[in-house]
Amino acid sequence: MAKEECKALLDALNKATACYHHLVLTIGGSADSQNLREELQKTRQKAQELAVAIRARLTPPLRDRGLGAEERAEFERLWVAFSGCLELLEADMRRALALGTEFPLHAPRRPLVRTGVEGGASGVAARALSARSLRHEGERDFDVEDLHQLEREILKVGEMIQDMEMKVNVPRWTVQARQTAGAELLSSASAGVSSVGGVSVQQRTGPCDLSKALAATIFSAVLLAAVALAVCVAKLS
Amino acid sequence: MAPTRPQTPRPLRVNSRGAGLRPGRSGAGNPTLPASAMAAGPAPLGGHPRAQKPHLSKMERVVVSMQDPDQGVKMQSQRLLITVIPHAVTGNDVVEWLIQKYCIAEDEALHLGTLLVQHGYLYPLRDPRRLLLRPDETPYRFQTPYFWMSTLWPAAELDYAIYLAKKNIRKQGALVDHEKAHYDQLHRKINHTWDLVVMQAREQLRAAKQRRKGDRLVIACQEQTYWLVNRPPTKTVDFYKREIECCRKALGRTRVKSSVCLEAYLKFSSQRGPHDPLLSGCLPSNPWVTDDDTYWAMNAPSVAVPTKLRVEQWAFSFRELLEDPVGRAHFMDFLQTEFSAENLSFWEACEELRHGGQAQVPALVDAVYQQFLAPGAARWVNIDSRTMERTLEGLGRPHRHVLDDAQLHIYMLMKKDSYPRFLKSDLYKDLLAEAVVPLETKRRVFPFMWKPRHSSPSLALLPTSTSGEPEAAAGSPGGGDGET
Repeated sequence: MAKEECKALLDALNKATACYHHLVLTIGGSADSQNLREELQKTRQKAQELAVAIRARLTPPLRDRGLGAEERAEFERLWVAFSGCLELLEADMRRALALGTEFPLHAPRRPLVRTGVEGGASGVAARALSARSLRHEGERDFDVEDLHQLEREILKVGEMIQDMEMKVNVPRWTVQARQTAGAELLSSASAGVSSVGGVSVQQRTGPCDLSKALAATIFSAVLLAAVALAVCVAKLS
Repeated sequence: MAPTRPQTPRPLRVNSRGAGLRPGRSGAGNPTLPASAMAAGPAPLGGHPRAQKPHLSKMERVVVSMQDPDQGVKMQSQRLLITVIPHAVTGNDVVEWLIQKYCIAEDEALHLGTLLVQHGYLYPLRDPRRLLLRPDETPYRFQTPYFWMSTLWPAAELDYAIYLAKKNIRKQGALVDHEKAHYDQLHRKINHTWDLVVMQAREQLRAAKQRRKGDRLVIACQEQTYWLVNRPPTKTVDFYKREIECCRKALGRTRVKSSVCLEAYLKFSSQRGPHDPLLSGCLPSNPWVTDDDTYWAMNAPSVAVPTKLRVEQWAFSFRELLEDPVGRAHFMDFLQTEFSAENLSFWEACEELRHGGQAQVPALVDAVYQQFLAPGAARWVNIDSRTMERTLEGLGRPHRHVLDDAQLHIYMLMKKDSYPRFLKSDLYKDLLAEAVVPLETKRRVFPFMWKPRHSSPSLALLPTSTSGEPEAAAGSPGGGDGET
């Protein structure tokens, strides 16, 4: 079903945009590194691929004049969410370009702002790409090349947005959002409650990691073996 | 933004009101912006030029120089129960560093530090709502460049809505009063994108979970600080003053209907089309092409016999007539036949005053008064009583613009009265008849080729319209005619 496909793609784009936003937050700070720039590149390329795919799927139904009112309203809702997401992505890409130019990693060497954020964000990028983990393989001058490419991609995204505006005429203010005020509270999958700025006790949720399960089995096996040996020694002596 | 340069030790003045170079979209340099000027979407960057905010770039230079590993501020670690977060500074250290780096007094260092905190470059760790720098052991931390004022200006409503939705999820609906009010207001205002708001809020929280706990806390603090600076809980008198200023500016902008604009534009283009040397070619020939400067000689500012195009141009507007020295001279002759030449003389004297040297201003004002404005003067000009009163008052303290009102009055008088008569007069008609139309220079071309219409080809001629003359380019003496 076209709508379900579109929805799934839109969710993926949403995820990629959110992860990209999260990664751009740390440019120029103490967590900025070549790995971060690589992750940014991968995330935004994935987001752009998704955007192109969604646009290819959403444009035909919206240009089809014979579509029913209900169907059309649904597609328009998806369209508004899609174009909003794309604008957020473009804005973040521009900021990434500005910040990346201002805080170059190699030469000239400028001190990065010590913000207190350390540690990698490969988990975030992996989430965006729906992959398990991420490999970093960039060369030394990766960030300079990356900035040029980022500029080109910003232009492409800008053109895409403009093209979308020209081809499909959806007046945004007529679209009724499905979510009401406070809808985010209802089915929020994030059960972890952490108050800002204070010390919080993190609840352990989610399934155990594979590695942890493996470690537990090995440990218990070793323990059993040790107990058996002790019993044998006790019996023999 | 300018890269850091080595700071010389001298007192640093950071003006929090902005240097007043170009007023920003809402007053000069302030963290709070009226909601009406906000875009619903993310803040547009690069689409149109950002207003200059020199005080922000100065503050950023200070912050970046604080980061130097050798000469920057001393950093400590913040110890929470289990996590340790580095890069905390105490207020005391900041103040001392500022004093030592810029050789300023303690008050000034404190003021500068408070400005940094108020604009969100530094945030307190214990009491985030009180944005001031305390010169004791209270810990502070630096804000990430993404949330700096200059990167993310102006604050977008969509971003704020996403932030409030995230906070709503985290606090299970327990928002502070002003945040609740903003939330409801935003929900009404950008209702159409609310789906996106909820989706993004959920996803951003899930993305944040992928980080370590310490990083997560720091990032949350950074975002909170940004929104505390840009959407302060209490609206001060300053805030309302700035809103009023912004609305006034918005009201005062000139708005012209596009139909009116376009009509004027069309009229301008159609009138001036034949006069434009690039669009219609110039007679006798384009000096850049044929190396013959007759064109310039015939159109010199003071020439005995003006060209026909030039005389026609005087009919377009009064300003054109006055700006052309030949035209002005003929207009003066005309006024003398009508016995109102003193108007033009007065106008010329006022122009001299406005554009002349500062030292001559008092003498010139006096001379003009004696000659034109004094009762019973030799060449008395007719100005209405109110303007005359105002001018006479101003003559007490002469400056170069003191006669502006009177000059404008006389200008409008000439424009409405004498100018139409001039255009209908015999003098003007004779000028038109006598005006010379230069002949275009004949180019030496082979007899069996088409003769080109204009020896100076018009750049606006399309290749298809001159399809009969591709060979002419080969025979042109100028060589670079490009008429194909």
